[in-house]
Formats: sequence, structure tokens, C-alpha cells
Amino acid sequence: MSNETGAMRALTLRLQDEIFAIEAGSVREILDLVPITEVPNAPAFVGGLINVRGRVVPLADLRVVFDMARPEPDQDTRIVVLEVEIDGEPTIAGILADKVHDVTDIDAALIQEAPRVGMRWRPEFVSGVARRDGGFVIIPNLSRIFSVQGSRTAPSAEERAA
Amino acid sequence: MSKTILTIDDSASVRQMIVLTLSGAGHNVIEAGNGADGYSKAVGQPVDAILTDLNMPVMNGIEFIKKYRQHPMSKGVPIIFLTTESDDALKAEAKAAGATGWIVKPFKQDQLVAVIKKVTGA
Amino acid sequence: MSLPDPTETFRQEARELLDQLESGLLDLERNPSNADLINSTFRALHTIKGSGAMFGFTEVASFVHEFETTFDRVRKGLSPATPDLIAIALDAKDHVHTLIETPQAAGSEGESILQRLRALVSGKATPAVMAEPAPEAVAPTATPPATGKRWRLRFTLPKDALLYGTNPLLLLEEIRAIGPCEITVLTDRIPPLDDLDPETTYLAWQVDLTADDPAAAIDDVFLFLRDGMDLSLVPLTEESTVAEPANVADPLPASADSVADVSPPMAKRRGKAEAQQLTGVAEKSTSSSLRVPAERLDELMDRVGELVIAQARLTQIAAQSSDGNLKTIAEELERLSSGLRDTTMGIRMVPIGTLFSRFRRLVHDLSRDLDKQIEFVTTGEETELDKTMIEKLADPLVHLIRNSVDHGLEPAASRVAAGKPPTGTVRLSAVYAGAEVAISVAADGAGLDAARIRAKAEENGIIAHDAKLTDQELYQLIFAPGFSTAKEITALSGRGVGMDVVKRTIDGLRGTIDLRTKPGEGTTLTLRLPLTLAIIDGMLVRVGDGRYTIPLAAVEECVELPAEAISTSRGRNFLDIRGALVPFVRLRDIFNTPSEPDQYQKVVIVSSGDGRVGLVVDQIIGNNQTVIKQLSKLHTQLKAFSGATILGDGTVALILDTVHLVGMGQAYEDKFKAETTGRAA
Repeated sequence: MSNETGAMRALTLRLQDEIFAIEAGSVREILDLVPITEVPNAPAFVGGLINVRGRVVPLADLRVVFDMARPEPDQDTRIVVLEVEIDGEPTIAGILADKVHDVTDIDAALIQEAPRVGMRWRPEFVSGVARRDGGFVIIPNLSRIFSVQGSRTAPSAEERAA
Repeated sequence: MSKTILTIDDSASVRQMIVLTLSGAGHNVIEAGNGADGYSKAVGQPVDAILTDLNMPVMNGIEFIKKYRQHPMSKGVPIIFLTTESDDALKAEAKAAGATGWIVKPFKQDQLVAVIKKVTGA
Repeated sequence: MSLPDPTETFRQEARELLDQLESGLLDLERNPSNADLINSTFRALHTIKGSGAMFGFTEVASFVHEFETTFDRVRKGLSPATPDLIAIALDAKDHVHTLIETPQAAGSEGESILQRLRALVSGKATPAVMAEPAPEAVAPTATPPATGKRWRLRFTLPKDALLYGTNPLLLLEEIRAIGPCEITVLTDRIPPLDDLDPETTYLAWQVDLTADDPAAAIDDVFLFLRDGMDLSLVPLTEESTVAEPANVADPLPASADSVADVSPPMAKRRGKAEAQQLTGVAEKSTSSSLRVPAERLDELMDRVGELVIAQARLTQIAAQSSDGNLKTIAEELERLSSGLRDTTMGIRMVPIGTLFSRFRRLVHDLSRDLDKQIEFVTTGEETELDKTMIEKLADPLVHLIRNSVDHGLEPAASRVAAGKPPTGTVRLSAVYAGAEVAISVAADGAGLDAARIRAKAEENGIIAHDAKLTDQELYQLIFAPGFSTAKEITALSGRGVGMDVVKRTIDGLRGTIDLRTKPGEGTTLTLRLPLTLAIIDGMLVRVGDGRYTIPLAAVEECVELPAEAISTSRGRNFLDIRGALVPFVRLRDIFNTPSEPDQYQKVVIVSSGDGRVGLVVDQIIGNNQTVIKQLSKLHTQLKAFSGATILGDGTVALILDTVHLVGMGQAYEDKFKAETTGRAA
């Protein structure tokens, strides 16, 4: 996670009013918005599929996990394609970002564990929190998020129609 | 100098080993999996030496040697057969059919290179 | 690119040879006097021994050696190929397999197998028949003199030496390497020009050589020529003139038994060189084929897939353009890429017969172990499946066959009492059915007892006592985890590889298991698997704003949704297709499509196995070549979709899983029937 100088090289992005940091090593590419194919009956977290250089990649929306509003995309919206481990298997997936900032070094000393109480979200989805520029940067535990969230299915239409 | 060697053996692993050994020694190796295929390759291009197994399906080594020796292209081309035992009668039969020499299996890589050197000078 | 490792090639080759050996032995059991079979068995042993020794598998070589010896006796008619011999040979084959694959696991069974073999072969074992490869020891042809460092070597070559590839110049070079020499050519044997045959060797040579003790080295030089040539090596003392000793080249030490015993097999060897028809599938190893690492095939497939996508894009652009040349090229490219796709798909397909032949041994052993007479029949061996699918099917099929034989087939006595032939038949078949392949295991045994299954399911808490289940649903319970209790698991059916694991594997391949049984007559289990071709012809349809692809091979026909069905009454969702009632499902409902449906909806009728269902869509767009992309773990649980594809405009479209949708239709139909019969009663 950190390089020799004790810092985490991360891509920072904005989701609604929070800044998130994704480990730079797991980022494959950053795309402008591309057509998203909706997957019927998929969990809200991974409701879409996109084409990345001829590869079909699932598109996830972390705003679902972090209980955020999900407005329509605008010209700042980007898709970050990354490699994440789901149940031990490396998988390529994309996440929506309201805005992508930059690749920066976050001093390891500034990263703290997420507080157990008083936090808006489930602590197991947050690897850590870092202080930066007077604010906080959230480091999500992507592997955990994808493994847990991805396994939830919306009740199928058949079951509801019955 | 590089020689063109034809190796005929129904065992892909033996052929592979021969190809690796002889190309490593600078030779150009052609492969065939049985006597019939070996024959068409032997008369299809100039070869400097032939290494053949005896026990093969479709056309065995002795038959190949006999047939090949009837073809004008075979004149002067050394044929080395592979044998798993010092079976003198078999050797005699192979030689009578037109073989030049033999090498006993299992053989080491340097033995193979030496035999080829012996009959081709390279 | 790395060079292949010959030892690994040997292992693969050995696996093939051992399979060939096993088939041959099983065939031999039925035809013990078939000379071709005996020879091919012998040859397989011989090759394994030879190659084994070459690649350092010395234990294999020495173990097989004794077997080869025994089979040589069989080949010469000295020993018969009895079932006992075949049984030991099969065990030996297993041992060789262990020695090659997991040598550390091999114990002393090798020795005990050899002992059984020796005991069986009455009369003395004559290992001398196949002499151990003797080291190329060179015997001196002349007594080395006590003193004297100069020698005179005289030699003539056999008449056909030149013709048969001996190069005298090379021989002379080798002699020069021994020590300084003077070479004189002796021309006295050359006939007059008229009689001269340029291909006959008339020349002789005399070499005066300085060396301490060259006898061994000289023998080495003439290693291949010793018999059939004249050679003399005498010491040259200062005063001796050219002495002409008689030819002292020793005759080769003749080993009495080797000469006597070897000639008969050579006669046989010469005669029986034609292709051995009975080795069937194994014979493919001599036909022209190429071994390619699987990853390279996958790469090729990916490239072809990308090509297809790009070509679809071009076709789309051409359709919207008025450029005639562009349209022509696009059409040509479509034709070419379609052909390329078909050829590439074909490469990964392997006939299922390769799997079927493995089972012969299984059934043979089961028959022996359970003491049941079993006839094993296979059909459809040429049916081709993707290589990876075949590998995944091996274990489930083994389990299904074991179960059929173990639980399905009754012992001979019960069969006869029931008026059946004492020999039970297990029938394994494979056949294409639209976009699927159907593999069946059928046994004419006692059939499944619905009542017993029900009782057991209730006992193990799988269903409630008053649960209403159709017979089909009851039969499917045997695949439920926990159905088999510990008592039921026989040593043969094994622990841990239960029917539930079989079902899970088949589910993983997106297939289904069909069960048909008749008490007293037998049971047939049919696995239905989608043909996982990576590029298929698809029918593109629109449901709401989304586009989906349906595998064209599964599509039977397309019709308009009749006006009366358009109303969303929960009533009968059935279409009348030429007198038959076909259930239909509205994809809009399944997909929760928000927008309003089109006025005129279409129904695409798809089939899977014996079932059909109509899929109601808003629009049928057209056909296209579809490159199947797997869905990630995040979406694989959605049963309605079997994959995704990239359309010509670059967007992603989901591929519908017709097997699942037909299943839905069936379920709806069954329920409807149950309700109507209930109401009618």
C-alpha cells in the first residue's frame, strides 16, 4: 500500500460532497462517460455494464454504498476503471466518479482507522481516513465493498409476479 | 558447418529431444512421425543424414530404409537407426537394408552429436 | 515464447500411450488372439520403455521392460492373452501412470505386480530374449604388442559402403585424429573401366600410423563397419616388411539365444506394419496433428472476437453510408470474418469420444468389483464440445455412471427373476439439440422409486411431510444437498462427490439435468449443456430502451403478439402456434422496464430440449455475429443472462439465457396445468 517513503500513492476523486482516495496501483484507466447498458434486476450498486476497449466491464456506483444522492452525470463525470479483488479473485470493474482530482501522495502517518462510532457508514467499508488540506479523505475498502454488495440481488420479477 | 538431418520417430518427445540437441549443435532438423512420412520428406529435399527409429507404425524403420535406398537420392546419405538393444541380428538386418550405423537408446545428447559428426563430418 | 520442455512432452505422450494401451488391453480381452492388437500393445510398451529411459524415467523403463518381455511371448504365441494377464497388465498400466505423474506416491506395488506376472507366466521367464542394452564396449581386434609404436592398418570397405552413406574421407579423418599417419590408397581391386560401377567401393587403404595403442580407437572408427569389411592392424617394426596377415577381424560375438529368438518376431514386425484399425481414437497420434498450448488458442479466439466486433462496426457504418465500395468491402469482410470464426471455433472443439473411452475402463472395473455383468454402449462419440467443457464433465459423468451401476442396475439374479436379461446395459450418448448438446446416461435397471425418494427426503428434512410435489420435482430431490445419508454412501459412490456436487457443476456450466425413469425398466439422466461457442449468431431485440441478444440457434420462429394477449390480464399467457399451446413471458415484466410498450409487440419463440417459450419483445432488430463475453462475478447470479456482447456501435448488450427462460415458461405451464386440473376436479 505505501511506497518506500511511507506514503500511499492514490487517485483522489469526488463523490457528491466527499473526497475518496483509491490506491493508484489498482487504477487501470480513467474514461470519460461512455454509454452505460442497464442490467435488469441487478443490485443497485452494480446496475450497469460498459465497454472498455472491447471488454465488457461492470460499472459500480459507490454512492449507493455510501447512501448518497445519485444525480444524473454531467461533464465532470468520469469512470475510473480499476482492478479489485472480489472473493479473492482479481476482477476489472469501473466506478462512477462525480469528478476526478489528481494522483497524490498521502502520508501514511496521516491515515487513521475509521472511527467505530459516529460515522455515517459501515466501518468495514472504510479502510481508513486521512487528513488533507483541512478536510478528510476517505479510503474505501473496495475489496470488501464489492464482495459484500455484489452478492445482493434484487428480488427477481418472477418472484414478485407470483 | 550446418547439416540437414531428418529424424523419423513416432515418439514426439524423442523427436523433440533430437531437434533440440542437433539444432543446438548448429544443424537443421526435419521431423517425421513414421516411415511413410519420413520417406516423402527424405526424397523431397536434400538431406545430409537420416536418424530413424525402427519400431514405428504405418511403415517401420527397416521398410523405410529399404524403400529409401531404392531411390537415387539416397546415394551416399548416411542412415543411423535407433535401437534399444544390442540386437545383432536386427543390426545386421538394418545394415543389409542399407543403414550406415546406429545409436543405442537411451543415448545422451553428446553421443547423438558425436554420431552425427562421425557420419557427416560436422 | 518459451521452448517446450521435452520431459513435459514425454509426459503428455506417455499419457496418450497409456490411454492407447488401456484401450488396446480392453479390446484384447474381447479378442485375445487378434495379432494386430497384440502388436500395438507391444509397441506401446516398447515406446514407453524407450522414451522413458531417454528422459530419465529409469524405474518406468525397467518396470515396463519385464512387461514387454511377457508381451513378446504373447506376440510369439508362447503365452495366451488371458483375462488374468489383461487384469495384471491394466494394474501395471496404472502403476506406470503413477510412476510418471506422481512418482513419490508409488510404493512397492510395482514389485507385487511383477511377481503376479511372473507367477502367471508359466515356464521360465526368459529375460534374455530382449537383451539389456549393452554399453557399446569395443573389443580390440588384434593383440596389442608389447612394444612398437608404429602400426600398419589395412582395410577395405564393403562394396555398398559408399552407397549406404559411409564416407571414407571421414573415416580417414578420424584415423588421423588418432596419430600422425601416412595414407596409401590401394587400387588393385579397381576393375577395367567397362566393368566399373561408380557406386561400388573398390578402393582399399593402407595407413601407417604412429600411436601407442590404437586398437580400441580404430575399432571405434570402424564401429559401424566391422562385419562386412576386411581390416588388419599389425605392428610395424623397423625390420618387418609389409606383412600380409590374414584378416583378423573377429566375427561378432554371436549370442545364441538372441539370434534364434529374435528372427521370428522380425518376420512378424515386417508383416504387420499396417495401421491398426482397432486402436481407433488413439491412432490419431500418427495422423498429422499439432500440439498447441491452450493459452495460444485462447489468444487466437480473442483476436478473432475483436475482429468480429470491428467488422460489425464497419458493417454498421457501411449501412449508413451511400458509398458503394464501402458497402461491398463491408459485405466481403463479413463473409470472411464469419468463415474465420467458424474455423477458429472448430479448433477448440474436441469429440466427446475422448471422454467416453475413459469410461470403458471404469465400467470394466465396476463390473468386476460389483460382480454385475454390464454391457457398455456408447453413441455419438463424434459429437464435439469445447475442450474445457469436456474436462469439466469428466467427474460428473463418472459419478453418474457409478451411481447408475451401483444403485440402478440390479444383480443378475434379481434381473433374471424380473424377466430381464442378466447383463445390464449402460448406454452413454451425446447428441446436438439446437444450441445445446444433450449427454445421456441410461441404465436398464430398477428405475427410481418415487415413494422411497419422498420418504428419504422427508426423513432428512428436505421437504415437509405435507408438501405437494410432482413426480419430476421429487426426482430432482436426489440432487439436493444432504439427500444422501452417510449410510447410503458406498465405497464406490464415494464421499463428497455426491449428486449435489454433480448438479452444482452442471449449474456452473449453465446446464440442466433431466431425469426420466420407469420403475422396473430403468432410468435415463440427461445433461443439457449450452454450446459455449465464443462467437455465435445472435438475434438482436429491443425491450424498452434496452437491447438484448438471443442465440439464433435457439430461435424457432417469430410471431406477432395477438391483440387479445396484449391486455395485461393475469390470465392465460399462452399462444396458439399451429394448434400447440406455447407459454410466453413478457420480458418487460421480467426486466421491470419502465417505459410504455410498443403498440405491436413481437414474440420470439425459443426452444431448449423439449420445451418452448415465447419471449415478448418490443422490436426485433436483426441478426448479428455475437462475440460472447462472460459476465463478471457481480452479475453471474442473474439467471436470465448467459453473457454479454459488444454491438457494432460499441455499446454492451446482454445475452439472454434461453434455457433458463424456457424453464420459466415450463414452470408457468406446469403451475397452470396443476391449477386448472385442480379447478376441474
